[in-house]
Amino acid sequence: MTLLSQRTAAAFLTATLLFLSGFGLPAEADENKAVLVVTADAGDYILAAGGTIAKMLDDGAAGYLVRVTNDDKDSWGLTPEETARRTRDESEKAAEILGFKEVESLGYRAGELGGVSPTELRDRILFYIRLYKPTVMFIPNPYAEYVEALDRFYVGQAAEDARRAASMSNYQPPFAVVGLETHFTPELYYYAQPFDPRRREAESSATFVPQPKILDIGSTFDKKLRAAQALKTINHSMAMRIKDRLESTGRRLPLLDNVDEASVGKLVEINVRKLAEIAAQDTDYSQAEEFHYAGVEYQIPSKYLQ
Amino acid sequence: MKIPVTAAVLLLTALPAAAKLPIVDIPPGHTKTFLVIHPHHDDHSWESGPAGLITKLVDAGWTGYFLRVSNDEKDGPHGYPHNDMVNLFEAREATENLGIADVISLNWRNDYMDPTPHNEIRGQIILLIRKYRPDVVISYFPWGHYDRNPDHRKVSKAVGEAVWLAGFANVHPEHRRLGFQPHRVPYKFYTQRFDYGKGYEPNAVVELNESNVRRKARSYWLHRNVRLRGATGRRLRQLLKDQALEIPELENLTDIEAHARMQEWSMYDAARKVGSENGIEYGEMFSHLDEWHPWPGLNDYLQANAVDQ
Repeated sequence: MTLLSQRTAAAFLTATLLFLSGFGLPAEADENKAVLVVTADAGDYILAAGGTIAKMLDDGAAGYLVRVTNDDKDSWGLTPEETARRTRDESEKAAEILGFKEVESLGYRAGELGGVSPTELRDRILFYIRLYKPTVMFIPNPYAEYVEALDRFYVGQAAEDARRAASMSNYQPPFAVVGLETHFTPELYYYAQPFDPRRREAESSATFVPQPKILDIGSTFDKKLRAAQALKTINHSMAMRIKDRLESTGRRLPLLDNVDEASVGKLVEINVRKLAEIAAQDTDYSQAEEFHYAGVEYQIPSKYLQ
Repeated sequence: MKIPVTAAVLLLTALPAAAKLPIVDIPPGHTKTFLVIHPHHDDHSWESGPAGLITKLVDAGWTGYFLRVSNDEKDGPHGYPHNDMVNLFEAREATENLGIADVISLNWRNDYMDPTPHNEIRGQIILLIRKYRPDVVISYFPWGHYDRNPDHRKVSKAVGEAVWLAGFANVHPEHRRLGFQPHRVPYKFYTQRFDYGKGYEPNAVVELNESNVRRKARSYWLHRNVRLRGATGRRLRQLLKDQALEIPELENLTDIEAHARMQEWSMYDAARKVGSENGIEYGEMFSHLDEWHPWPGLNDYLQANAVDQ
């Protein structure tokens, strides 16, 4: 290594560590935080990460939600157009409950992202990264297995790429012309509901690779639950699909004998409570959420962290 | 300097690799119909293939259909059209040996599927799911790592989406014009090569009997166009002879018959290995997604509270 490159490396390391020293400070620092959540559909981010996001927003961070699809498939007895309209309203109400400042719906048709260019999707998300300049991003975990809704995979992959590309000036030069400068988001949370049986396995390297992280959501669980219950169209669809499956196989669920707002709300509560319980297993928490986390500390070798 | 850490970071150790997998039985059948959806003619019957489960379902009275998504034109010693025709013919013979009722070939061009629209393959599969209303779909694992075969990757993703999107009325609403109603596939059995290490870890084992393995082994070499080579049988026997060894069972067989016999032994060995690792005689490994998989927070509740009508 030349003297120049040694000095450059030392300067970079010093700057990085000074930058890092500002992380993890309590409430007053959160006022400068901006949280960008990217979600494929209206419900996934709430069920997987709603409590953690609500806590950050409660602590003063500004929240921005980018919802990629229009959820037009997920209903029972409604047209795609009516489903999309209702779910848009309901997703905005849910986001308001969690404390988001702004919600953007990109309007892609649900379940059709396999036919969308990954580069196009990346650049749509990249736009919002440069616009909002988040300090924290939440994205669907594209590495999670057993997640049947592959829209989450496509969005996660595009968002991960967007986070990297947003920091480099040779991506989307026209954005710079119109005032959207490059931006690097230091903290990244990969979220997924607990489908993947190997989700808690540590990754191969302690640095450079996102690692499992479990966070307490006891203080914001009620907000998460109310946000999940606000998605009335999706929840009604879930209840009816479960009821239909049971009836077609000669069974019934007493809770769903009458599918109404109360019974659907109860079903959602059972779901959300259990998800929080699953994430809290083997921890001291009673309600939690699980992530794979790539913070700044994962971007420098561990030998420099002490 | 120490980095402040604001929350608990849990680095949990991996589960022991040698742990036995749970043994799953065939699920309760409603339509008692299953679809096997593979890119290639021979994907059902090889060391990591699901042919044993197929025969088990057939033995239990289920009806199965095989969807061959590609045209297999590259696989074999002939030119494109000849390979396509021979491989399809042999796929019918091999799946008939397993008890499959019919073969439907979607005929997408083998190993040129990258430009094939994902949503178009998926749409064809959704239509056939709605027609046959299977309780079980068997295919490749949609989230598999290290699978170098591009058709496996392409088809498994299309299947992975089709099995749940087929349950939404707003997906391909035109199917209703033919009288087909939405149908979410409740049980999925996915496979992949199980010697890819951490790239793929199955979560369940299906127990097989000798009859299941025997039919699987025969279906393996019934794909003669790609499996059987007289020269290979001759070479293997010469190798044995060079070392003054002999296998009595191979005596009086032609070179091709000897090759087929050795392939059958290989299939038995694979099923026996899975069995011995899991406390049974013969087995096949799967990634199994059950009825309530889409709602992990409701799985226990539904299992405990659903009652007979």
